Amino acid sequence: MLLLDRTGAIDDLWPASGETLPASGRVLVPLARLEEALETGLELGVEIPNTTDPRDLTPHLGRVAMIAVDFPGFADGRGFSIARRLRAEGFLGRLRAAGPVISDQFSYLLQCGFDEVALPEDVAERQPAAHWLAQLDTISAGYQRGINGLGSILDQRRGAG
Amino acid sequence: MAKAFKAAVITANDLVEGHSVFLGPEGWTRRIDRAMVALTEEQAAEFDALADRHVIENSVVGPYRVDVTLEDGAPVPISRREQIRAAGAPTIAVGRAA
Amino acid sequence: MYRYDEFDHRFVAERATEFRDQVRRRLAGHLTEAEFKPLRLMNGLYLQLHAYMLRVAIPYGTLSARQMRQLAMIAERWDKGYGHFTTRQNIQFNWPKLKDVPDIIDALAEVEMHAIQTSGNCIRNTTSDPYAAVAPDEVEDPRITAELIRQWSSLHPEFTFLGRKFKIAVTGAEEDRTALKLHDIGVQVVTRGTEIGYRVLVGGGMGRTPMIAKELRDFLPREDLLPYLEAALRVYNLHGRRDNKYKARIKILVHEMGIDAYRAQVEAEFESMDCDAVAAPSEELARIRAYFAPPALPERAEGAPLISRMRAANPEFSAWIDRNTFAHRVPGYVAATISLKPIGGAPGDATAEQMRSMADLAERYSQDEMRVTHEQNVVLPHVALEDLYKVWKGLSAIGLDAPNKGLVTDIIACPGLDYCALATARSIPVAQRIAERFQAVERQEEIGPLSIKISGCINACGHHHVGHIGILGLDRAGVESYQITLGGDATETAALGERTGPGFGYDEVPEVIERIVDTYMDLREHPRESFLQAYRRVGMAPFKEALYAAA
Repeated sequence: MLLLDRTGAIDDLWPASGETLPASGRVLVPLARLEEALETGLELGVEIPNTTDPRDLTPHLGRVAMIAVDFPGFADGRGFSIARRLRAEGFLGRLRAAGPVISDQFSYLLQCGFDEVALPEDVAERQPAAHWLAQLDTISAGYQRGINGLGSILDQRRGAG
Repeated sequence: MAKAFKAAVITANDLVEGHSVFLGPEGWTRRIDRAMVALTEEQAAEFDALADRHVIENSVVGPYRVDVTLEDGAPVPISRREQIRAAGAPTIAVGRAA
Repeated sequence: MYRYDEFDHRFVAERATEFRDQVRRRLAGHLTEAEFKPLRLMNGLYLQLHAYMLRVAIPYGTLSARQMRQLAMIAERWDKGYGHFTTRQNIQFNWPKLKDVPDIIDALAEVEMHAIQTSGNCIRNTTSDPYAAVAPDEVEDPRITAELIRQWSSLHPEFTFLGRKFKIAVTGAEEDRTALKLHDIGVQVVTRGTEIGYRVLVGGGMGRTPMIAKELRDFLPREDLLPYLEAALRVYNLHGRRDNKYKARIKILVHEMGIDAYRAQVEAEFESMDCDAVAAPSEELARIRAYFAPPALPERAEGAPLISRMRAANPEFSAWIDRNTFAHRVPGYVAATISLKPIGGAPGDATAEQMRSMADLAERYSQDEMRVTHEQNVVLPHVALEDLYKVWKGLSAIGLDAPNKGLVTDIIACPGLDYCALATARSIPVAQRIAERFQAVERQEEIGPLSIKISGCINACGHHHVGHIGILGLDRAGVESYQITLGGDATETAALGERTGPGFGYDEVPEVIERIVDTYMDLREHPRESFLQAYRRVGMAPFKEALYAAA
């Protein structure tokens, strides 16, 4: 797996849970084990399939420090809306897009509120971190408002006018 | 029961040019009459594998089999779609010729 | 007309550079075909039966002379000298090479055009009324709203990998010329008291499972438009089906959930949204509106005597005036339809020469403006009556003077099996044969308004479901077969056509259509009872009998 954010390749600070949860520290659990993990004092990350209704996580957003949204394929864009809704609900922790997304989607992912991308090896081989960083400069501003990162052309116009 | 094997050629589109091409003994050709004709399932599978290698090598896109009959030894597609595709042009006059 | 400012220019230039880089990475093997395909589709590039095909966006169908000339240049330089205007008000080039496409995109950017989102599972070109700023029944020029949506939907980070394509149409008039109810979302500019806002429809569409849109909101304050669209799209993106591409359009979600449940979710999403953060500032709407200020049309001669003199001068010209002009809200002017359906031609096709001549006519006689219609014609929106003869002569010179708008030979047809990789049967030659059979102008006029729409596969790009007579070409064991539907309607009284019965062979279609038309002529109560009115009165039975009895 290659993990990267807008600075390039980064270390994975979120060990996945094994059979048993660790005694202390951080852990990334699947959604099915969230209830169990909430009972512990661990620093929690949760991995969710992209069929999850993000509203189901609302009660736990203060308790969870990282959410990894699964992308089963790059063309399945449900994760973009999950991220935007989690951010709209006030989630301030780390958001990870996990799966075979492609570098051409990097800006969109960041704009929707993701912080990092976890890529399978075969995609990472064809699209190393440098490709991803190069994508960040392609479109300097979009038209949409209320999204993360880039300024909106609509606001830039107001500034210029 | 397995479907009876029909004679087949392999077609694809040229990655750069886009036009339809057929797998021939010396590579891809625009002419179906120069295509290699698979007469058995084994032969067709061999051609499929060859075509797939060319996909990985990035010369063609989307190879698939086209069922043909042989007329004077030359392959002719059975379906209307593949007949039009093999002709490389619409069945009507287009542009200035229309 | 809308003009790009520095920000639009930069955006489109950056997108062109991005696509050039995507093509480079594809050819270098960094992108597989599976990865490249959605990226090229999002930039309008298909791989068809014989070649790549590039679909260029014509936002809400509006074109300037300069833009039309650039399309002609592209057709000549990188294609085979012609283009095809589509039912979504776009233009397609049928023969570009992959390596040339980045240069074509640059050439488009020079004239403030692009191919962004003309395909792919994203928000497509926003379409609108070809008589915008012409029609007397218009609340407001719908292109103000359409341009706002065009910008908002361009490279939207959340909605670029939807379950399926998403089409939005905007109209500002009561009489619907946009097929509003056949769109994923239809937006109608309406008033409540003195306030301008929107009526929003959702869940219409054609394809394999045609559906008429349902009302989502009867009145939406105009400042809420973009947040509301985001809410509607988000609910679709999260809950629309992804297991079957034929069930992935929003129409299926709305149908399966029910409009009330879908509406409840959209409203809840909308309520929880920070609308101010998403909505366009009012300055932006005012900025766009300024571009669509009605043109200052100089006062020109008007009145019935002028028209009768013109009619008397030339019977062919007279027929063309009757059929191909539309009353303008400014006295002394009309909107003139250039029919791209000459008898024997491919519906919607135009050569580079024809494009240049249309551009010249628009520049000289129509305030430098043209509109592409979903009926695959081109409208000159602001022609002075006094100039009409010169326009008609100009069109005669290029073979585009057919007086057939809305008549039996004004046939809508997709490219079909002659070009399209998805098609199951040919469309264009079927249209040509029908048009040839009905080519006599007097006979067409006698028959009256009749829309024939032909699709070469179940995807319904030729809008057959809403043709008064619809023709759907299918493949039956390698042989083309055509199903006929009757009674479809794309307007505000939208209806889906009903199948007559078993299909017909390729060679039989013109005869079958003639039998349907003859049946109608026999049973209509008076010459002003249109085909559609007559069908609604008598139903399918007499037509069925004419087609299948005593075979």
